[in-house]
Amino acid sequence: MLLAGLLASVEHGLNRILRMDSTALPRLAALEGKVIAIDCVQPALQLYILPDADGLMLAAHWEGEADCTLRAPAGSLVQLALAKDKSAVLHSPQVQLHGDSAVLLDLVAVLQDLELDWEYELSRWLGPVPTAMLAGHLRLRARWTRQGLARFSQNLSEYLAEESRTLVGRREAEAAFSELDTVKIDIERLEARIRRLARSLDTSDNA
Amino acid sequence: MNDQRKGEHAEPTTHFGFKDVPESQKAKKVAEVFHSVAAKYDLMNDVLSGGMHRLWKRFTIELSGVRSGNRVLDIAGGTGDLAAKFSRLVGPTGQVVLADINESMLKVGRDRLLDRGVAGNIEFVQADAEKLPFPDNHFDCVTIAFGLRNVTHKDEAIRSMLRVLKPGGRLLVLEFSKPTNKLMSKAYDAYSFAFMPLAGKLITNDSESYRYLAESIRMHPDQETLKAMMVDAGFDRVTYHNMTSGIVAVHRGIKP
Repeated sequence: MLLAGLLASVEHGLNRILRMDSTALPRLAALEGKVIAIDCVQPALQLYILPDADGLMLAAHWEGEADCTLRAPAGSLVQLALAKDKSAVLHSPQVQLHGDSAVLLDLVAVLQDLELDWEYELSRWLGPVPTAMLAGHLRLRARWTRQGLARFSQNLSEYLAEESRTLVGRREAEAAFSELDTVKIDIERLEARIRRLARSLDTSDNA
Repeated sequence: MNDQRKGEHAEPTTHFGFKDVPESQKAKKVAEVFHSVAAKYDLMNDVLSGGMHRLWKRFTIELSGVRSGNRVLDIAGGTGDLAAKFSRLVGPTGQVVLADINESMLKVGRDRLLDRGVAGNIEFVQADAEKLPFPDNHFDCVTIAFGLRNVTHKDEAIRSMLRVLKPGGRLLVLEFSKPTNKLMSKAYDAYSFAFMPLAGKLITNDSESYRYLAESIRMHPDQETLKAMMVDAGFDRVTYHNMTSGIVAVHRGIKP
């Protein structure tokens, strides 16, 4: 019952988020009637996902057959959720996929493409004018913070590399690496030359 | 099976809570209870169960295995909690029938579902569970949630549900049952007979209906008895799952 309660809460929250994207629900409607089973091996946990035009329904048990079953340890499932290259994770040996994988990939694509319209949701609570003012203010603050962080990062790296000399600067390091590469190649050439000379000396002794 | 006969020509009696009433009177008395509570039925369910009724119904839906295109009958569907979920699961190619003997409950359920945009694949039928007005072998799944204990002839109702199910179809009975833990049973008794009528009085100004609710739960067959009734009616592979220490149980049977 505890798990059922938890799933009910997650489902409620997830569907609210899905409603904030104008394309998510119509895309999920195309998956209506499909059942996706997520079988977590470590820890042992099963989750069934049923998409439809109203969002996602989550269940801890499902009596019917699943269209697609994904069996993997929790670590791989998290990796799958976060990784950009899903197919690399899906092809790893710990992950098993049975049934129609297109159903799972379609669902993942819907979740990955979410573009949440926070302003619309906020406007339902605050009204259009306060929302526009608040959103404008927040956007300005966000831009100011991003620019501030970028400037701080640049200044800090310049200070550490140029003024305190605690770290080596990027260009200096690149020049040093380039010199090291040249020395490495020269040594390899010298080794090859010595080997060739040694071989020619051996052949002249035998003659 | 709860019927008693008081003499050769007297009308058989059945229980209405802890009282015995003539069989012909029970449906009328139950109807009065539900007419009285219909308007605040959902609120009272949430208050009295602490929201647990949603999880019990959720588990019932998980056991149903209903799929796109299925035909589902929700008997005593009340305010339509199960029917709304089934409507999503069966999709536009399926069909859900919400049946209730009580006109007030059916009206509240219909208005609530229409307000929530649940329409198109759902029908509302006022029907008696003992004499279901549907053809034989018609539904993939039949459910009755918190309704069977109010039915006068439970055996007849179960047989009627068997009749309308397709072979391989499943019946799910979600109903209050007997707690499996003695301590829980005592706490539950105290809660049922003290708090429930009081909450009924405060919220709906009707303590009697909620006293009937507590009494009818005690008079309802326990897990094993209901299982035996379903087997006797002809169901196969009958199993039950206790929830919240047996306060509620969901019975499932398959039509052979």
